[in-house]
Order: sequence, then structure tokens, then C-alpha cells
Amino acid sequence: METERGLRTRMLPGLTVLTGRGLAGWMVIVGLAIVLSIVVMTLISPWISPYDPSALNVGPLRSPPNGEFPMGTNHMGQDMLSRVLCGGSIMIHVAVLSVLFCLTIGVPIGLLSSYVGGSLDKMCSLIMDSIYAFPGMVLAITISAMLGRGVVNMALSIAVVYIPSYFRIVRSHVLTIKELPYTVAARSIGAKGDTILFRYILPNVVPSIVSVATVNFADAILTAAGLTFVGLGVTKDIPDWGWDLTDGRTLLPSGAWWVITFPGIMIVLLALGFTLIGEGLSELLNPRLEQ
Amino acid sequence: MSFSRKAKGISTTAIVVLLVLLVVGGGLYWYLTLPPPGPVYKDTLIWGTTDSVENTLDPSQAYDFFGWCIIQQTGLTLVEIRPGSEAGPEDIIPALATDWTVSDDMMTWTFNLRQGVEFEDGTEVTADDVKYSFDRAYVIYDETSFQVGMGTFEVLIDSVEVTDTYQVVFHLMVPCAYFLQYVACQAFAVVNPEYAAYDSLTEYVAGDARASYATDCGRYKLTKWERVAGKDVEMRLEANPNYWNADEEPKTKNIIIKMYTDPTALRLALEAGDVDIAFRHLTATDILDLQDNPAVKVWGGKGAAIQYMIFQEHMPPFDDARARRALAAALDREAVCTTVFLGQAKPLYSIIPEGMLGHTEAFKALGDANVELTRSLLAELGYDEDNKLAVDLWYESSGHYPQSPEQALMYKEAFEASGVIEVTLYAADWPSYRANRNAEIMEVYIYGWYPDYIDPDNYAWLYFASWLHHNYIETANGQAMEALWAQAGSAPAADRPGLYAQIDDLAVQDCPVVPIFSITPYAVTKPNVGGVVMDITQSWRLWLIYATVG
Amino acid sequence: MGLRSYIATRALLTIPMIMLLLSFVFLIVRVLPGDPVLLHFEKAASPETIELMRQRLGLDKPLLDQYFEYLVGLTQGDLGKSMQDFSPVGQQIFSGFPATLELTIYAMIIAVGLGIFLGVRSSQSYNSLQDHSIRIFGIVMYAIPIFFLGMIFQMIFGVFLRWLPTGGRIYPGMEPHGLKIGDLHISTGLYTIDSLLEGNVFKFVQALRYLFLPSLTLGLVLCGVFIRLTRSNMLETLRLDFVTAARARGLKEKTVLYGYAFRNAFLPVLTMMGLQFAVLLGGAILTESTFSWPGLGRYLVDRINFRDYTAIQGDVVFFGILVAMVSLVVDVLYAYLDPRIRL
Repeated sequence: METERGLRTRMLPGLTVLTGRGLAGWMVIVGLAIVLSIVVMTLISPWISPYDPSALNVGPLRSPPNGEFPMGTNHMGQDMLSRVLCGGSIMIHVAVLSVLFCLTIGVPIGLLSSYVGGSLDKMCSLIMDSIYAFPGMVLAITISAMLGRGVVNMALSIAVVYIPSYFRIVRSHVLTIKELPYTVAARSIGAKGDTILFRYILPNVVPSIVSVATVNFADAILTAAGLTFVGLGVTKDIPDWGWDLTDGRTLLPSGAWWVITFPGIMIVLLALGFTLIGEGLSELLNPRLEQ
Repeated sequence: MSFSRKAKGISTTAIVVLLVLLVVGGGLYWYLTLPPPGPVYKDTLIWGTTDSVENTLDPSQAYDFFGWCIIQQTGLTLVEIRPGSEAGPEDIIPALATDWTVSDDMMTWTFNLRQGVEFEDGTEVTADDVKYSFDRAYVIYDETSFQVGMGTFEVLIDSVEVTDTYQVVFHLMVPCAYFLQYVACQAFAVVNPEYAAYDSLTEYVAGDARASYATDCGRYKLTKWERVAGKDVEMRLEANPNYWNADEEPKTKNIIIKMYTDPTALRLALEAGDVDIAFRHLTATDILDLQDNPAVKVWGGKGAAIQYMIFQEHMPPFDDARARRALAAALDREAVCTTVFLGQAKPLYSIIPEGMLGHTEAFKALGDANVELTRSLLAELGYDEDNKLAVDLWYESSGHYPQSPEQALMYKEAFEASGVIEVTLYAADWPSYRANRNAEIMEVYIYGWYPDYIDPDNYAWLYFASWLHHNYIETANGQAMEALWAQAGSAPAADRPGLYAQIDDLAVQDCPVVPIFSITPYAVTKPNVGGVVMDITQSWRLWLIYATVG
Repeated sequence: MGLRSYIATRALLTIPMIMLLLSFVFLIVRVLPGDPVLLHFEKAASPETIELMRQRLGLDKPLLDQYFEYLVGLTQGDLGKSMQDFSPVGQQIFSGFPATLELTIYAMIIAVGLGIFLGVRSSQSYNSLQDHSIRIFGIVMYAIPIFFLGMIFQMIFGVFLRWLPTGGRIYPGMEPHGLKIGDLHISTGLYTIDSLLEGNVFKFVQALRYLFLPSLTLGLVLCGVFIRLTRSNMLETLRLDFVTAARARGLKEKTVLYGYAFRNAFLPVLTMMGLQFAVLLGGAILTESTFSWPGLGRYLVDRINFRDYTAIQGDVVFFGILVAMVSLVVDVLYAYLDPRIRL
């Protein structure tokens, strides 16, 4: 029978892994906490938001934060608190989807290309390098305009920008591990290609991939906001922090600071959370500063 | 001895006193006879705007508000409309023409030109130039150009005849009661043959403002037109010394036009004092807010730009007038005007805006937010709460119309308030929006109209615009409407309002288009700016604007 | 290999990269929803007219022909004609490029300068409050939307204090025209340089005033990357043997820091500058929008609205070549400074 104490002793070691590692560990914990709370908030938002975030004129136009509307209302009389609770949905969807696309496309290509080597590798590297060096926003805008509006299309356009990063990190790991003695040994005793890939190489690559993925998340959120600002986001009737930023910008000179500030803080927090995780993880994985 | 000295002293004093008196007296006299000091005007004003020239400044092709605006500053039409007036028949004032006569059948219009009017290069404007301007438009016209003049020239003007050096005659194909209003619009600006080739457009030339326009007998010269990466960045107008009335106009010798990327950037520039005038566009919230700001002056005008809703009549159920009437009844105009435009737009129940003859309240018959009527009409077509009518509502997303996304949200809410309609929103940027309109793929969409010329005809025409593809034109109602419209175009002035009212009444029964609101234009300036006239013509007469110094 | 052969190899590699980008864009752009031909007509036009326009735009030819025509044009330096108003795309791009370049350069100066300064401070006080605050500052700055930050500056410095202008590149009429001696006319399009060439200090100051807020905004947003990089490289280098040795020899901390450690930390910064150049170009889009900066920023978005294939192709290719050239320069510089990587 599991005692409570027994459970705790099982959980705690995991936590100690992180807390015991100093600042980097704490960064990951804090980052995770931020991200998880925002995600949870967005998930339960339909049940906890006081008003329908799209409902117009629920309150006086541009009302400052007060008892009835803790985060005020915007220029269409929509409740900002509800919009803040529900507005992350689109961005999180876009971010998650784009990471999924990258993982399913970038990682396999990276593994295959660098393992097989030769001219396939050269060609893939060339393509990936071209995309990698390119201004991400420009590419995202072009592709997004091409595909049209919608969450999936936004995710795709951001994914294209990020696939090279996954490719590169996977490739650099594979090239290193490929030549390590134990891999060579494995091959010499007849281990097949995919065995080597999946049993030897992939497990080592995963931590770095996770690191890239977190930066990918953060960037996806900011790019999604940028795309909405430029007019390539979802239609106006869907609550989205990107829209609030765009509208809030117009309202700020008139003194309605609450429309841009609260969603802005949420975006900053979410991007911050992911970046903390990413930075913390990469420090944990590449320890070099044990002063 | 003392006597002579005393005498000398007295005479010196006397002379001094006399001199002083003379000087003071003379000065006093001079001061009193001085003409009263006139106001001292600033030499240069900066106008900040988010607008830009859509294509060219060639009157045979230009069709955008800003393009016409610039043409109006630099060029002249035969007649103009008195600033600040109601743009009625008695408000037509001479410009390039000094007087005119019209035949009884309203088909022959004779204009006598002002003598001594010069183009910028000093050559005189004669009747030949007027004929050149119109004939040229025919030659250049090709279906790909955004041309309003041509669409009208073809069906209205038969020929232009030069009967004397300073006299030109227009022979029309049909009688036209509002021809003078027409002549006052910028499609009729006279071009300088030197800069307007007979068979090709005068287009933007980088670095050479002079070659970029041809309408140059007006108040201003265009001395700078800068485009960076395809977008207008700055334009510069300087007083034209050869203008026939150069003593009076323009009031401000130099106008610099600075383009800003969006209304917020413009508002900030205005508040920071970077521009003297901000016109087109500021958001409704900004206008409201600035009205309380003592550092700026807000000028409101008369609304003539309207927004209306269009139904694609070949997409069922919108081929049935009941469906169209149902949606029209569900509209809540007051809500849109209050929420989106903060009172800076007026609900419109007629295709003709307020302030123009022929304006009615016809569409009030369907009511506002009249959900009972909506439900009953849709029920007849088989739609109810369990079987909702699915509507695709389109709006324009690149800022061509004011706050289209917000409008769309309001319409969606109004339609769904009936409980029997379900709305899906679609957005398209302006070029695509227009192409979609032509391809007739938008089920229900929001559109706008700026008057080409100030006459109810230009609005009533909307019921019959070819690109709206109306089935109803084949109906008895539609035929009646068209007949009335043709009649109104050439009826005596007193009869016209009644005729347009009848058109509106018939329109309510079919709802081919549904007028929603008219927009009040605003300009915001520094407090020392004056002379801003915003009348029903929507003309932006820069030559009347001035800023006092000190 | 020697430096020369390295340069040659790198340069040669650039060409297929650009070719790939070209082809990619050529295809992708034709996937844009909406027929560009139809966008030219105010009213619905007859099929004959549409066909005429299609020919005029060069869209009636088979895809392969269009592709080769485009390639040939590119080798001659012709980026094609805009499909909206038939003016040369190259001219449009080059009219807007100097403004964007100037903004990018000054933003880079601020990002690198501030980044290095703060990164060094951060590494010096490892694990202290200052260290953490600086790192958080860098991360938060990156996450703040550019237009939000820009607008805060506009409101504080422009509207409230009235110290700086809120938009535009220079006061109307004050554009510097560079050096003019007789027939010789040298101008870079960068207002700060041109005003100095002209010898007009007043214009120089004005150009800086208008440049300050936009480049500060863009630079701040990106300084985080340089903070992080400098910090980690400094920390690594400071632990190395030769640094300990220098310290042991009694050299002043400052000399150790800047004389030895910093030089080694700087090399990666150089590479990062090359990479961040692309990011800056992307960020310039939003910055130019916010500050009404007349550069290439909104060019792409506007051209997309008009389905202007040639202009979009031209713009993307232009960016690609630009970025490739910068990477090349950075790589060569790096190879020059660090022979190890030439192997």
C-alpha cells in the first residue's frame, strides 16, 4: 500500500533534480509554472469567464478597471477579463501546432539526412541553411498570405521558419554520435541503421530538441501576434490576444491603457515562461558554469 | 548781453518744442492713417494623412478620394461649388468658366471661359484645351482602368464642340438636370496638353513631380511627390503664381503633405505638434478624445460617404426579397453608430444621405433591430430556431472602409439576435474584396460609396449599378424604379425630390441594397488654423486654409 | 585550407542557396489564393480584356518560360516589373532599402552595444541580483511586442516631453543630398552619412533625432540575444587557464576582462550579428509601421495584398541575397580571425 510518505519520496527526487541544480533548475520550474498556469487558465476559461468574450456592449465602452469589470472594457464594450482568459487559445493552438509540424517534419529529415550523409545531406543542409538565414517574419508573412487565414495556416507558416533549427540541432548531434566508438562498435556487430538511430542517437538528441521546442513556442506566440497585427490573423469575432494588442494600440493614446496592457502582460508572461524553460534546460544540458 | 542770451535760450526752446510737436503730430497723423494690420499667415503648413494616391493623378483615370483631392488643388474645372453651401443648383459658381447657358431640352450646355487663365508654364487655357481633355479620355480609356468619368462619358456626353476661342459646347445624349454638378467633379479637370499625351496616361515619375501631373491651372503647383517602395511618403504644394486669382488664393503658400502609416501614428504626430492638420483618417475614439484636448481644434463636416449592405442575389435564399428584407429588418443602425462610431455616423434610411434633396426615411418601414419581422419573414421561407439561416458575411480588412471589422461584429450580433440566423465572418483585403465583388462570390457584404458628384442621382444610381447584379431589375418593381430614375435625372428641380422618394419606397420592398449609415468626416488642427470648410461636397479646399502667426 | 580557398568555397555555395530560394519563392507565390489578373479591374471585365491583361502581366506563358525569363532577368539585375503599376521592382526596392538599412544598422549598434555592456556586467557579477535582473531584462525585452514598446516611447518622448519626433525620417525639406562636387554626386541614402558628406551638422543632428526612437525600440528588443551570448561566452572564457594565469600574474581585473577574455568572447558575437541581421530585418517591418519609417517594411505586405507576384518574388529574393551576403562576410571575417574553422 502506498503511503503518502512513499509517494512523496517518489516525487521529490524528480523535483530535487531541478532544484538541486541551482538557478537553471529554478528557471525551468518557474517557467513551467507560468506556462502551465496560463494553459490551464485558457483551458478552463469557457467555464470561469464572467462574460462571453465576443459579446458586444456588455458594459460601457472603454470603461476603466472597476468592480464590475476588473480589467475594464474595450472600445466595443467587451469585457477584458473574459478576453484575457479566453484569448490565449488561438496563440497556444498556433504554437502547439507549429511545434508539432516541426517535430514531424524537421526531426525525421534531420535524422535521415545526417545519418545517410552524402549528397542527400548536402542538399538538405543547403535548403535548410537558406531558410534558416532568412528573416523569419518575412517568410512567415509570405507563407501566411499564401495559405490564407486560420490557425493551421498560421502554424504552418511559423513551422517553416523553425524547421531548420530542429534540423541543425539534430544534425549536429547525429554527426557527433555517429563517429563515437560505441556507435561504430554497434555497427560493426551488425546493428541496423534504424536501430542505431532510435536506440543510440535519438535519446541523446531529445533534450536538445526540447530546448529548441521551447524557443519555438515563444517565437510562435510572438510571430502570431505580429501576423495578426499585420492583418493576417483570424477574423475579428474570435477572441485573441493579438487582436487586443492591435486594438489596444489604437486606444492607448486616448488613455485606455487597460486594453493593451493586460493581454500584453499575458503574452510577455507566456513567452517569458517558455524562454525560461528553454534557457534553463539548455544550461542544465550543457553545464559549464560550476563556480 | 543777458537779453540776447535769454532771447537765444527762448528761441532754442521754442524751436525744440516746435520740432517735437511736429514729429509727434506727424507720427500721430501717420499712425492714425495707417491701414489696419491684416492677419499674418504662416507660410507653410503640414498636413498629415494616412491616405495616398491610389494610381495616378491623371483625371481620366484617377478615381480615389485622395487623387481627386490633389487634382482639385492643382487644377481647375469649368465650375465649382460654393464652399460651405448645400450644393444646390444655385450654388454653382464660376471657375474656369465665367458663365453658361443650357438649352431647354437640357441637352446642350454652352460654357464661356474666363480669359487670361494660364497653365503653370504661362500658356493660356482655351476652349481647345477643354475639348482636348475630354476627347483624350476616350482615347485612353481601356477596360482595365479605374475610371468613373469614362463610364459616364460614354452614356452621357455625345461630343464636345469648340465654338470660339473661349467658348465650348457640350452636346449630351440624354437630358441631364445635374450636368453642372457633374462638371464640377474632378474627372472633368482640364489638362495641360504639354504634360498629358493624347493617347497615354500621365503617370508618377520618380523624382519629377512636374511630369507626374497635367492638371496645372489651379491654385497650387505640385513640386514634390515622393514615393518610397511604392508608397507615397511626401508631397509638396506651392502657390501657383500664374493662377488667375493668385492675389486671393491660396491663403497658405506652401503645403507639405506627410503620409503616416495608420491613424494612431497620425494622432501621435498631431499631439506631438509634428503636423498642423490631420485629415483622413483618425479613429472615432481619437476624434472623441481630441474634442476634449485644448491643444487642438476639431472640425466636423457633413456626411456624404455612406455604407450599405449588399446581397448576392444569385445565392439562395437571397434571390427571394423576403430573405433580404428579413436581414434588413434585423439591422440595428443606432447601435452601430453609437458603439462603433461613437455618434460620428448617422443612421441612414435612404440611399441618399441627409442634406441632399431626395433624402427620405423610407427604410424605417422595416424598422431597426426588428427581430419579429425578421423571424416572421424567415419563417415563411422555412427558417426557424432549429433550422437557422446560415449567412456568410464579408468585410474588408485592409482599412479601406472605416472600422470594417467592428462593423461586421455588430452586424453579426444584430443578425444573430433574431435567433434564427447564424453568421460566419469572412475577411478580404481591398483588392481581393473588389475582385470578389466582381466575381459575385460574397453572399452578404458591406460596401461603401463616396459621391463622385454632389447630386442624388449619384446615389440612386447605386440601386442599378451593373456590378451588383440585381435580379430585381427584371421585376415590375425594378422596371418602375429604373424608369423613375431616368425621369429624375432630367426632371425640373422641383420635381426631383419626389421622384427619388418614390424610388426609395420601391427599394424598401425589394431591398437590393440596404443603406446603413452615413459617416461624418472630421479634421483636427492646431488651434491657430482657420478656414477649414467641410461641406457636403466633401471637397478639401486647401487653398482656403490658413494658420495665424503669433 | 587557406583563407582564399575558403572564401571561394563559401561564395560558390551562396549561389545554389540563392537559386533554391528563388525557385522556392517563384513556385510559392503562384499558390497565392486569388487571381492577380482580376485585381486590376474596377468592374467585371470581358474575357478578352482579362486575357489581354494576362498577357500584359506575362502570366499567359507556360510556367517554365516564366521561370527562365525571370532567371535571365535576374542575372541582368532586373527584378521585373511590378504587376500593379508596371514600374520596375528594383527601383521600388532600392528606393526603400537605404532607410531600412540605416534603421537596421543603428538598431544593431544599440543591440550589440547594450548587449555586450550588460552581458559583461552580468558575467562579472555571476549569480547576483544584478546578473538575474539583467538576464530577465533581456528576456522580457524580447517578449514585448515591438509596436507596444515603440508606442510607449512615442508617447513619452514625442507627445509628453516633445523632445523627439514621433514619425518620419527627417523634417520635410531637410533631406541630405550627400556630396556634390561639380558633376560628381555621392550619396548613400543613409541620412546620417549623407549629411556628414554634405558637411551639414544640423541635418546630421536632425537625422539622428528621427532615427533615435525607432532604432532604440528595435535594438532594445534584440539586445537580449547579445546579453545572453556575451554573458555565457565571458563566463566560459573567464574560467580558462590563460585568464587564471593572467590574474595570477597580477594583471588588473579590467585588463584581464577586456584585454584577454573579451577578445575571445567577441568572435561568437560577430557570428551572432550576422544571424541577427536577418531577425532585425524582420523586426523592421513592425518598427517601420509604428514610426511611419519610409523603408521596405510594409512593402511586402502591401504587395501581397495586390498579389503582385513579381514584386513579392523580387522582395524575397532581395532579402535572400542580402542575408546571404551578410552571412558570407561574417563567415569570412570569422575565418580570418579564427583559422581553426577553415579546416
